[in-house]
Amino acid sequence: MHSQLRVLRVLVEDNPGVMARVSGLIRRRGFNIQTITVGPSTEPGRSRMTLTVDAGHAEVDQVAKQLDRLIEVIEVEDITDAPTVSRELLIAKLDKVPPAVEQYGARLLAAGIVELTADSETVEDFIEFLKPFGIKELARTGPVAMRRSA
Amino acid sequence: MTGADMVLEALEREGVEIIFGYPGGANLPIYQRLPAHPKLRHILVRHEQGAAHMADGYARATGRPGIVFATSGPGALNLVTGLCTAFMDSVPMIAITGQVPTAVVGRDAFQESDVIGCTQSVTKHSYLVTKVADIPRVISEAFHIAATGRPGPVLIDICRDVQQAEGGEFEYSYCSVLPGYKPALEPDPVQVERAAEMLAGARRPVILAGHGVILSHAEQELLEVAERSGTPVGTTLLGVGAFPVQHPLALHMTGFMGTGWNIKAVQNADLLMMVGMRVDDRVTAKLSEWAPKAESFVHIDIDASEMGKNVRPHLEVVADAKRALKAMASQVKPPPADRGEWLTQIDAWREEHPLKYSRSNGHLQPQDVLIDMYRRCKDDAIVVADVGQNQIWAALWWNYTKPGLFINSGGSGTMGFAFPAALGAKFGRPDKDVWCVAGEGGFVMTAQELSVAVEHQVPVKIVLLNNFSLGMVRQFQDDFYGGVRSEVDLTVMPDFVKLAEAYGLKARRVDKYEEIKPAFDEAQATPGPFLIDFRIDPEANVYPIVPLGKGLDDFWELPNGA
Ligand SMILES: Cc1ncc(C[n+]2csc(CCOP(=O)(O)OP(=O)(O)O)c2C)c(N)n1
Ligand SMILES: [Mg+2]
Repeated sequence: MHSQLRVLRVLVEDNPGVMARVSGLIRRRGFNIQTITVGPSTEPGRSRMTLTVDAGHAEVDQVAKQLDRLIEVIEVEDITDAPTVSRELLIAKLDKVPPAVEQYGARLLAAGIVELTADSETVEDFIEFLKPFGIKELARTGPVAMRRSA
Repeated sequence: MTGADMVLEALEREGVEIIFGYPGGANLPIYQRLPAHPKLRHILVRHEQGAAHMADGYARATGRPGIVFATSGPGALNLVTGLCTAFMDSVPMIAITGQVPTAVVGRDAFQESDVIGCTQSVTKHSYLVTKVADIPRVISEAFHIAATGRPGPVLIDICRDVQQAEGGEFEYSYCSVLPGYKPALEPDPVQVERAAEMLAGARRPVILAGHGVILSHAEQELLEVAERSGTPVGTTLLGVGAFPVQHPLALHMTGFMGTGWNIKAVQNADLLMMVGMRVDDRVTAKLSEWAPKAESFVHIDIDASEMGKNVRPHLEVVADAKRALKAMASQVKPPPADRGEWLTQIDAWREEHPLKYSRSNGHLQPQDVLIDMYRRCKDDAIVVADVGQNQIWAALWWNYTKPGLFINSGGSGTMGFAFPAALGAKFGRPDKDVWCVAGEGGFVMTAQELSVAVEHQVPVKIVLLNNFSLGMVRQFQDDFYGGVRSEVDLTVMPDFVKLAEAYGLKARRVDKYEEIKPAFDEAQATPGPFLIDFRIDPEANVYPIVPLGKGLDDFWELPNGA
């Protein structure tokens, strides 16, 4: 992984405009969002984000520190170097469904549409594998991640 | 109680005494109820930018948040420069703006603008209020956020229908905790001990003090640490006054227009302790050439994100400057026997690189104006400077011995700041003499506020250092851009004496050295505001200065024979 890339788990208040605040800050500081996923957390009124951010020319610890300055950010955890599990979801519409997509742990979701949940690297490999079969449409969620239990 | 009354009631509960504002369609309900709250004094400005700078000056002079009202759209957007000025310099401010009614938000209604979006990167936090019941909580949170930790401006955008809505009984509780906001205040004792040890182990230490020292009232603790450890202290532009300039350990101002002896000390130090400052590019000049001999950096700041943002410290102390320095003061050790050598060396640099100016061309010199002004004010007046050459002269040619007496827009460098900010400072500190030092270029950017000075007879004395040009830019063009003078000429300007008279205040013009004293005498003898148009040497420059893009070592001084 490029050394400027950081993976962050962020807990935020579920207020209107929080996404704009987070993404606005990242833009304004010269960082760049590679992936962003957001959904409800276990705590009511709070959302969980997983961000992959390129720190650009900044010191890499700045990403978490700057996010932490936002009042609506409750918690930031930089898990780039931590032992984590990470998964993303891919769905793809194909001209022709290849045989044995199951090898990759993928499955047929509907006629001509396959689904795979895996770490991002495996998802990349899978896309390469699909290319010769004609990809009509493709959607990826970007990764969600958490630390492994100690 | 209506939303409008709730806003005003909440401000009263927070101890607000003065509001700087301007009405319009989207804050009419608040203005309708304002006369019913006579404890809240309102100053009708002549431009919303003026309101923001007045609130800023008020906050810097009193330590209490400055309050601003503006209407939606153009009114709120006129605050942006003022919010940014306060944000860059960590000044507590609360701006309450009217927004179009909730039902039409997002429909490009008349005077609708996305104020939250437009101000996000220049506020510490902001709120869009769409429910009347949220008003008390939002205002209490805003005060807590604006005034604690690293202070800053907070914007509250309230839809007009919400101001008008009936909100039931008013209950107010002061906010003291927020889940996502926990300013670090207490220093880690282990780090403090380590910092004291590092200071004791250094042979050529230097402390640099920034605005954070002034904001946290840590000047006494700083003095103790410096004196007990025998460490010389310089300040940033915003830190001017944090350490008495005439103290034997004082290095005066640092950075790209800092004093020669400060620059020499920083460039030769083996340890730098930065307190309450951001270590920005105006402090370091070319970063890779800054403090090349420093073996260690200690950084004390309340904002964790400042650690390593520009310079990676060997020791980080994330804490309030006052608490950190207080803890350190009891632990620092007396200087080692050879400290005298370092201090003697600094004294030699002070002799070798004094602040200088020349009177050889017969023109009135800005330094002579400032020196006379200092003689009559000593340590008791507040000086609010604008931006440009006037700002640096005002920073360098007064011997500030106390914090809070020199106010200027350091981080944002906002021309037009000084005059409204001086009015705000005087509203907040009627017991202090307040002087505004400005260039003619910056002054006319917010000169409309002369009406406020006259209407309220605010006895601010305006010292125009009129050099008939955008002096600082002219100097940069002369020195660093091949001498091409491009669009910096300001010879066509109003007659400032007549301008002042048109607004209704007294004024006087000064061209000669001999006229400085009588002009100041008259200004001081005149109740109310007074303007002096000092027509200074149009070629006077700021020295020392470091050429843009160069390291501190390359600083230029007043050319010989000038
Ligand atoms: C609003 C704004 N516009 C432009 C600048 C860039 N700038 C910095 S100093 C300066 C010249 C200021 O001229 P004047 O107010 O006459 O002060 P002087 O330098 O002559 O003392 C300019 C244009 C600025 N700081 N702020
Ligand atoms: Mg000028």
